[in-house]
Formats: sequence, C-alpha cells, structure tokens
Amino acid sequence: MPHSLPSSPKSMPREGGNGITKFTNCRILKGDQLVEEDLWVDSITGKVIRSQAAFYDDLNLPDQTINLGGRILSPGFIECQLNGAFGFNFSTLLEPTIYAKKVKELNKRLVQTGVTSYIPTITSQTGDLYKTALPHLGPSGPTQVAEDGAESLGAHVEGPFLNPTKNGIHNADVLLQAEGFDDLEDCYGSSNINPGKNGSRPAIKMITAAPELGNMTALIPQLTRRGITYSIGHSEATYEEASAAVAAGATMITHLFNAMRPLHHRNPGIFGVLGTEESLPRPYFGIIADGEHLHPTTIKIAFNAHPDGFILVTDAMHMVGLPDGAYQWTNGDCTNRIVKKGPKLLLEGSDRIAGSSITLVECVNNFLNWTGASIPQALKSVTSTPAAMLGLQGQKGCLEDGADADLIVFSESQSGGHVELVVDEVWKFGSKVFNRTASA
Amino acid sequence: MRLIIRDDSQAASTYVANYIIQRIKHFNPSPAHPFVLGLPTGSSPLGVYKILVEKYKAGEISFENVVTFNMDEYIGIPRDHPESYHSFMWKNFFSHVNVKPNNVNILNGNAPNLEAECVEYEAKIKRAGGIDLFLGGIGEDGHIAFNEPGSSLASRTRVKTLAYDTILANSRFFDNDLDKVPKMALTVGVQTVLEAREVVVIILGARKALALQKCIEQGVNHMWTLSSLQLHPHPMIVCDEDATLELQVKTVKYFKSIEQVARTEGFEQILPSTIRTGATPAPKPLVDIQAPTSPIAQSPTILAPQPTTSRLLRPRSPATEYPVRAVSPDLVPDRMADRIGVPDISRRLTPMPEQQRYASVGA
Repeated sequence: MPHSLPSSPKSMPREGGNGITKFTNCRILKGDQLVEEDLWVDSITGKVIRSQAAFYDDLNLPDQTINLGGRILSPGFIECQLNGAFGFNFSTLLEPTIYAKKVKELNKRLVQTGVTSYIPTITSQTGDLYKTALPHLGPSGPTQVAEDGAESLGAHVEGPFLNPTKNGIHNADVLLQAEGFDDLEDCYGSSNINPGKNGSRPAIKMITAAPELGNMTALIPQLTRRGITYSIGHSEATYEEASAAVAAGATMITHLFNAMRPLHHRNPGIFGVLGTEESLPRPYFGIIADGEHLHPTTIKIAFNAHPDGFILVTDAMHMVGLPDGAYQWTNGDCTNRIVKKGPKLLLEGSDRIAGSSITLVECVNNFLNWTGASIPQALKSVTSTPAAMLGLQGQKGCLEDGADADLIVFSESQSGGHVELVVDEVWKFGSKVFNRTASA
Repeated sequence: MRLIIRDDSQAASTYVANYIIQRIKHFNPSPAHPFVLGLPTGSSPLGVYKILVEKYKAGEISFENVVTFNMDEYIGIPRDHPESYHSFMWKNFFSHVNVKPNNVNILNGNAPNLEAECVEYEAKIKRAGGIDLFLGGIGEDGHIAFNEPGSSLASRTRVKTLAYDTILANSRFFDNDLDKVPKMALTVGVQTVLEAREVVVIILGARKALALQKCIEQGVNHMWTLSSLQLHPHPMIVCDEDATLELQVKTVKYFKSIEQVARTEGFEQILPSTIRTGATPAPKPLVDIQAPTSPIAQSPTILAPQPTTSRLLRPRSPATEYPVRAVSPDLVPDRMADRIGVPDISRRLTPMPEQQRYASVGA
C-alpha cells in the first residue's frame, strides 16, 4: 500500500514518560557474540538509542527498566521468503480493501512469531494478480506504527521469469521470458517496479528469476539500479551462467539446492558461485531448514561454504498454523490444491514439495541442532545477514545505535544436547507487541 | 593516615566499596542533602565500581541522592570516544546504577573555554557543598588525578599537559599510535582533592609499590603528589599486599596492628560525626513559624573543619583566585646580611666576624 503520510511517532509513551526502555541483565547479539550489555530503546523514535548520549546530553533516564534475567535479546527476524500465513496467501486475487485487511491481519499475527519485518513473496502468477496485489505489499515507508505488527520491506516476486524445467510447483503455463525491461514492466506493472515520482521505493524489493532465459542477465543492472535485489532461482543455469549473473549484480540465490541443478563435480552449477573466487563477490543464499527440502548435512555444507551469506528462510505457505487437510491455492491461471500433512506440504496428486509450513524460529532451532552452529551464528542468518542482503545494514537486523528497535527476547532451553530458543517477547519500534506468558 | 592492607586486590576493592556504602548509608542523603562523591577512572578503581554495581543491583545501596564529581578528562577527543572518561564512567558505573544524570559532573574536555570550564567546576563543587568523599587511584609515579610529578600541591582544577611517560602508557588504548593519544587533560588540582572532607585512595599491585612507599614513608613532595595526603586530616589508603613490597616491615606491621587493635577493642577508626553525616539540616521546631528562608540556610554549607593544608597554604597561595598563571617572581636583591637583626650591619663593607657570630646567636 503506497503511503504518503509524514513520519509519525511510532507510539505514544505513557503519561509524562519519555518512552525510553532500558533492557538490563541480558545477552545481546553483537556480531558473532552474545555480549552482556544494556540496551536502550526509544518508543517515540522507534530506534535503538545511544544510551551514553541520552544520559549526558539529554539528561534522560529510562522510563522503565526491564531485567531480562540473563535471557537473549536479539534483533527481530527478517523473513525473505514468505508466501502467506494464517490462512492468507499473498498470491490471491481479492478486492483491494479485503486484500489490505488480510495483509493487516497477517502482519499482526506474524509479528508474534518473532518476524518483525519480511518481504512478502508472490509465486509465478498472471499480470492481473501482480498489478492488484503488489501495491499492498510495498515497503511501509514512513508510516511505522508498532501496533501494526510485522513490517513489509517490499515484495519478493518469485517468477514468472523462471525456467519451465525447474518450475517446482509453479504453473509452467504462466512462465515468461524477458527480452527487455519493458517485459518486466508489462508483467509487474510499471509503477510497482519503478521508484515513485517523489522518490519513494518501488513495491518490489526482490526478483527471483532464471538468468539463463531470454535477456535476463543483461537486465540485472537495471534492477539493482532501482534498489531491487536480483536473486537466482528456479533455474537451469550452469556455473558459468550463474557466475555471469553474479558479475552483472545478482546478490542472492533463492532456496539454494531446490529448483536448480544439483552440484555436479564437472559442472558445479549455481552452488559453484559460493566457492571462493576472488574476482566476484559471493552472493547471499536462502536455505529452507524444515527437514523436508534439504538434508541437514547439505545445510551444513552450504553454511560452511559461505557462512556470511547464509540466510534461513521458511518458504512457508498460508497453511502455517492451520490443521491438516487440502487447501486451495491460486497457481497462475488455475487453482490447485495443496495437501498439508503435519509439517509437510505436497501439491495434490504429486510428490512435489509445495513450500513449507514452518515458522522461522523453528528453522533457527533446526539449524542449531543439526549443525552445532552457535546461537549468534544462527541468529545472524535471520537478522543481520538478510538485512545486509537487502541493503538495510544498520537499520534492520542489528542492535546498533540508530537501528530500528525491533527486538526479540528469547529464553533458551537445553535438554540432552538439544537447544531450543523460545520467543518470549517481541518488540517493534521500541514497543512491546507480544508477550508469550500474557497470551498463553 | 589510615592504611588498610588486604591480601589481594579483590579484598581491597571490597573493603573500599563497603566503606563507601557505609559512608553513604550513614550520611542518609536526601535530595536537599546529597552525598557528594569524587570519582576516579583507571584500572585501580574498576574492582570498586564492579562491587558497587553488584551491591546496587542487590538493593543494598541507592545512588539516587549521590552527586558525583569526576577527577579528570582528556582534552580534544570526542566525549563519546571509547577511551574518554565519560565513556569509562558510563560503561563501568553510571549505566548500571541509579545516579541521576543531572547529579553527574565530569569536566568537559571539549569546552570552548577550558579555563572557564575549570573555574566553573570548582564553583560547582562549592555549590554542592564540597566533596564528602573523594575516591582516588594513583599512577606509578604517585600522581593523583592528572597531577603529574612536579604539580603544585596548591593546584586547583586546570589544564594539564601530560607527562611523556603517561602519554606512552596511554598509547596502548589508542592503537599504539602516539599521535592519537591526547596530550592534555583537565584535572582537579591537588588542593581540590585535599579539600574533600575525606580522601580514600586505592592502590593495587607491585607496580605501585614505590609510589606507596614514597607517599607513606617519605615526606610531602611535589614529585609524588599523593604524598600531600599526609596533610589531610582524614585520609585513608587501601592497598593489597603487592603494593606494600617497598614498605618497611615495621610500617606494614604497624598499620596492620592499628587496624587489629581497633577491631578487637571495638574502637573503629571512625570520623567525627560532622564529617560522617555532613551538614545536617537544623531540626524542625514543633511549632512551625513561617520565617522567611534565607538562601544561605537552604544551601548546604561546609560545617566540617577545614583540612589543615588549606589553612597552611591558603594565606600564601594565590591559587584560590583562579586563573593565575605561574609567573617568575620579580628579582628582589637579597643578602644574608639583610636578614641578620644587627642594625647597620648592611652598611659595612666587611662585616666584623665577632659581631656577626654574636648577632646570629641572638637572632
């Protein structure tokens, strides 16, 4: 939804207060470590503040001090591949008002899982759906209200410029090839892919496309110039083609290993670009750690290949949080049904995986237990790494001074070598929006 | 002088922290009658701050009505530089306790007029009613605050150029780059410290042993500025065993026995009550008569006896009126003969030896 409202206070502090909260007795995520440090956040500006300056300059003391009893304080999660949740799928053709309402509902519930910002993902669809849905999925811009819940950082269009032989469950009939930039504009709608006249960011933040098709690799610089991340995915690209795409500005790989050629010893394929090649920056890559899409060892290999590019994503469908059964799904020009059986989603009548129904914190816990990675490493893959991928370093995914005060309080349970992080509290723009004990 | 010796640095720090807490508690500070605490930076007091923070978090002490004055600050590095003393105090103490930001006073090393900043700092201390307890540490050369060897023992808050030794030692905090180390600092003077009602100094480690020896066993000397503490009526030095390495066995045993005897006899080395409680407000009459309150009565005044040094030094020292720069005194011709109380002696070209001897005996 395009916004033109001026920047407003994120929330109003309690009577007479200055809106400053101090977290103490906590371990906060800083780089590769959990450090015992206090954190000050301001609910009026919605930012993490320099406590020292607030004290010496503004003579401010916190309104409230929260003793976290040694728990972990992490930046809020950033989800880079979410197709829908709580019964709502972003790839649905609806009346604009109803669609907007559904997105709003989803945001409020999504934030309770620890995801404070995300890029809503639309699978391969026809042009009509993009033009209707995308205006609702753009970055929330200056209107940032804590009570609205999770915040969109812009939409992720996964398709339709995908390779028909690696379509996964996407409807092969709607897949396209792009020869020029106007093909992209025609498909998504010019206003969704170009910055607004007032300099506002376009609705689309990331495009997943196969670089080997049509003229796609040559179009990558035009996308990155608009601040749009190009991600390689659903592709038959060889190592050479993938390298060319990276050289052209591709900085991401959509669900690595899934819907692409496997690593072959004579042609390493897309995975090969994660090898150290000094001439090229290595791209970031998404990994679905749901136990269905990838074997745990594969995840470990990918992580060790390029730890700083490792991003955990869910690829979750709207069946997250719904009971088992068959659910309708708009797939291009037809409607399919997806069967949910436990955590597993399959396209009806096939054995194709149809996304996941896992939450991001579950992915983090899986990753922790499968790979023996440290908690900071696991948290980085859903906070600072995706923020860097989206060009939002220092603003999202970190607890530096001046960053948005999106936070998660974790308690940590360890039993028999099994580690589990539990989302206790979620804070958005310096205000508490979820408390596990209160909602239980 | 009280010299408290503890087995290790932890025990010494604990002693100091507990002592400060006891003093604050006994003082019973209120917003109108705050406890004024002077604070140092550096490695020696770190342990003390740590324990104070622990005790605060355990609810044993509140710093709500404590006013703090810091000893010194570098000139020319940003206030929030990680090595600034503002940052040190924030990181190690203020951020963990309930000191109110407007009760915190630290010299501003980036003030447009540094001299005015120093004068104002002295005035602020006066307005706060003087410092009740000044906690200090020392350097290996026996300096207290940035009063390097050779500083005037009558000095007040001022700009100080750092000794080359100090710059070298500090370079480890500035990427070992001498150019990045501040060359100047603002510091309270020796006199400022001595005017506190009580001075507590913590000295830890073998490297400080010589300095401790100079300050305890030798005379007052501006080359070891801490030795000026000998002129203070209520000084206390707390050290660990390592710091006593240069002291005579006799000295160590003496101070240990004092403490031992005091404890067994139940005679603690306590301060006069006026110093312990500061200037207490006058007791309220039962019948409240609406009298116009004078501004003097509202502001806390120093009722405690003035330290000896201030009496010794004040008449001759021009330092009370700042700023005064050190100037070479005018050359006054002076002969020994002028000082001998024999009339007409100065007129003689060749003094008579017998008479001179006679005169000097009588003088």
